[in-house]
Amino acid sequence: MVVGEITQERDLMIIGGGPGGYNAAIRAAQLGLNVTLVEQGELGGVCLNEGCIPSKVWTYAAKKQAELPHMKELGIDIESPSINLERLLNYKSQVTSQLQQGVQSLLKKNQIEVIHGTATFTGDYRIGVEKGHQFDHYIFNNAIIATGSRIIQPDYFPANSTRAFVSEEIFQLNEIPNHIIIIGFDYLALELVSTYQSFGSKVTLIIEDHEQLSIDQSIQKEIIRLFKKKKVHILKQSTIRLVEETKESITAYVKKGKEEQAITGSHLLVSGQRKPNVDSLGLDRLGVKQTVEGRILVNYKMESTVPSIYAVGDVTEGESLAVKAIKQGKVAAESIANENPEVDLTFLPLVAHTNPPIASVGLTEQEVKMHNIAYQVGQFNLGGNGYSLISGKKDGLIKVISDANTDIILGVHMVGEGAVELSSHFVQLLEMAAKIEDVTFPHFAHPSVNEGLLEAIEALMGQSIHTTPKQQSQVTT
Amino acid sequence: MLEVKLHDIGEGMTEGEIVHYFVKEGDTVTTDQPLVEVQTDKMVAELPSPGNGEIHEILIPIGETVQVGTTLIYIEGVGPSKSTQAKKPNDQTTIKPTQGLQQQRVQTTINRVLATPYTRKIARDHHIDIEKVSASDPSGRVTEEDVYQYINKSNNQPPTIESSEQPIKLELQQPKEQETIPFRGIRKTIANKMTQSIYTIPHVTHFDEINLTRLFHLREDLKKSGENISVSAFLLKALVMALKDFPIFNAQLDEENEQIILKKNYHIGLATDTDEGLVVPVLHNANQKSLRQIHQEIKSINNKAQNGGLQPRELQGSTFTMSNVGPLGSTGATPIINYPETALIAFHKTRKMPVFNEHEEIVVGHMMNVSMSFDHRVADGATAVAFTNRLASLIENPNNLMLELV
Repeated sequence: MVVGEITQERDLMIIGGGPGGYNAAIRAAQLGLNVTLVEQGELGGVCLNEGCIPSKVWTYAAKKQAELPHMKELGIDIESPSINLERLLNYKSQVTSQLQQGVQSLLKKNQIEVIHGTATFTGDYRIGVEKGHQFDHYIFNNAIIATGSRIIQPDYFPANSTRAFVSEEIFQLNEIPNHIIIIGFDYLALELVSTYQSFGSKVTLIIEDHEQLSIDQSIQKEIIRLFKKKKVHILKQSTIRLVEETKESITAYVKKGKEEQAITGSHLLVSGQRKPNVDSLGLDRLGVKQTVEGRILVNYKMESTVPSIYAVGDVTEGESLAVKAIKQGKVAAESIANENPEVDLTFLPLVAHTNPPIASVGLTEQEVKMHNIAYQVGQFNLGGNGYSLISGKKDGLIKVISDANTDIILGVHMVGEGAVELSSHFVQLLEMAAKIEDVTFPHFAHPSVNEGLLEAIEALMGQSIHTTPKQQSQVTT
Repeated sequence: MLEVKLHDIGEGMTEGEIVHYFVKEGDTVTTDQPLVEVQTDKMVAELPSPGNGEIHEILIPIGETVQVGTTLIYIEGVGPSKSTQAKKPNDQTTIKPTQGLQQQRVQTTINRVLATPYTRKIARDHHIDIEKVSASDPSGRVTEEDVYQYINKSNNQPPTIESSEQPIKLELQQPKEQETIPFRGIRKTIANKMTQSIYTIPHVTHFDEINLTRLFHLREDLKKSGENISVSAFLLKALVMALKDFPIFNAQLDEENEQIILKKNYHIGLATDTDEGLVVPVLHNANQKSLRQIHQEIKSINNKAQNGGLQPRELQGSTFTMSNVGPLGSTGATPIINYPETALIAFHKTRKMPVFNEHEEIVVGHMMNVSMSFDHRVADGATAVAFTNRLASLIENPNNLMLELV
């Protein structure tokens, strides 16, 4: 140990280089701050390396594969298609490493210092970073905690399992399961049902009692119907009592009401709960307030209860979604640079890259009912859309909920090809507090899936062109 | 579960401040039992229970100002409810706090105020809570203009100190040299109205004196015949007549639509001092009432103002305000106009003064000063002087009042 400590000074220290952290870092640099980012693993975080991005490689491959039968109709003959998982895994590594390099190079070009190590707060304005045998001290004006979250194994998980996976762990699996049992009802569970069904696995989806997807019932029903059509076995309102693993198989004992059944598959996936990565940060000493689960309490500017410390992403309350972390990261940086931003999660789009995909923004029909809002529903089935017919993707619907008194759009929900891309349009309508006329007045490209949104809105007035009079405008008050 | 909402108690009311709860969580209540006291524009109202049940939750803390439509209390109901109001998304609450991290936690609310992201930004940049801005759009959307209007209004109020630093605790070492009075209720309403008026209206006040000698003689004569009509009633009557000749002072400036609205009704506000503070009950359709009626009504209004029995209707709709401060004293003032009216007149103390009569003799005159404030955007000084001249001539020659009999 050297006599005395050398302490370095920094404007802004960011702990964690996932989407929340690196977006915060770049925005802060753009606003003239001197930024240091500490990452203990790999840049890009869970999202880029294990979660969102790998899962989209999977869903994209599955989507392409599902299009093959339609290729034949289009006159494109492809000889005996098959899926080569090794090449897919390679492709995934290629994509993630390319994105990672992109982040690295952006950080560098924005003159952001990146330190690989583990950070621990030693005071309201002090942080220590451990890198192997080295322990460096820093003094900062502000810090942003963006350390993310990690999966928790459910109690019923077999020890040292090779057949059971939690959430993003599944993307390390190098074989296509013969029969995969998927437990959960979040976006990841739904995406994996779609994916493995396309890859040719037998799929059983178990939706536990407590599982609730906060998207509209009509959309849930439609996706479940489409899953069933593709021979996915679905068990609702169940409880997992026990999971047992043998060398050849894995069995889930599922209770539904009084009955119990054993479902045996080759692999099992739980899209499980997550907990925030806060243990090594030393937050309790600082008085940073946290929930019982350890999530950091922040306000709409991302300030924690300690004025110099901000937090963004999964370490804060709310859904574990990169879209939230990205926004919060930018807002934290802007707050620190004395701008005046705000995070408001009211119209956070919920999407799933299922086949067909799902997007949901704003109030659901169940919510407007619960709040006694006089409302109208307009629905359009994509079967009536020209482009959906051309692309062979006629499954799905768009559902719009409006306020019956003011015509203001309250929620837009879609299952069907194009849902994820259209979701920005939905969010925009809601943020601008648009009325029916605000959607029917503009032009919609033809032919395109966009027109589906127009027709769903027109259906609110019983004026969707490609819907029979009987099917449209259910006025409810 | 029954919801108790702040509903529109009087015409045009948009918000109210929670002054007092008569109940607490867990209390059993019956239909029509008073639950909460709400201070609205110069009036305190009680909201009754819509049904029988138990108080489940009180949502809005005392002192908070909320919009009409806000849910105040949840009652776990038993038996049928009296009213269920459809909840619209623009029934905004002001629960979103501006201070206190605990309540500011990241959360979404179904009741978020409707406004575009840009409008929200304007509100943030001016440190105002957009949830508190009322919407001019009937659909409940808060526009840029609404926010700017709110900013203009609240600019006149003391700024709230926004600081994340701990307040320095010095009180402990210092002897208690001051006491604090809660700044809410009628006091705060008065403050808001006054600042709104003084910062919106370019005020001009001019003074004049009026000789009441003849009016006093007339009153004496009437008294002998058994009719007791107060000076106030005469002043009010004369005022209405003068206003008829100068309609520009019985008017309201509508800046938005670039017009001045001349009111055809003569609803005269009577500035009245009460134990609670200043209230302005209104004598409606004064032009259609006889002196005797006016006398009676002034008496009755005064009485109600002192005893807190004024109905919301009796506090609304004035087109011109008169402040008879004479009985209290004073010889002059620069009164603040009762926004959005155009003018206000104050009548001061009547004193015996030496005056010249028509024969150039010095005699005793009963002289009263008047102060008249008017909106210089709407009228000019010459018109205002002509108006008070007309008023003075009517009061000084009360026989002329007869000429105005319909």
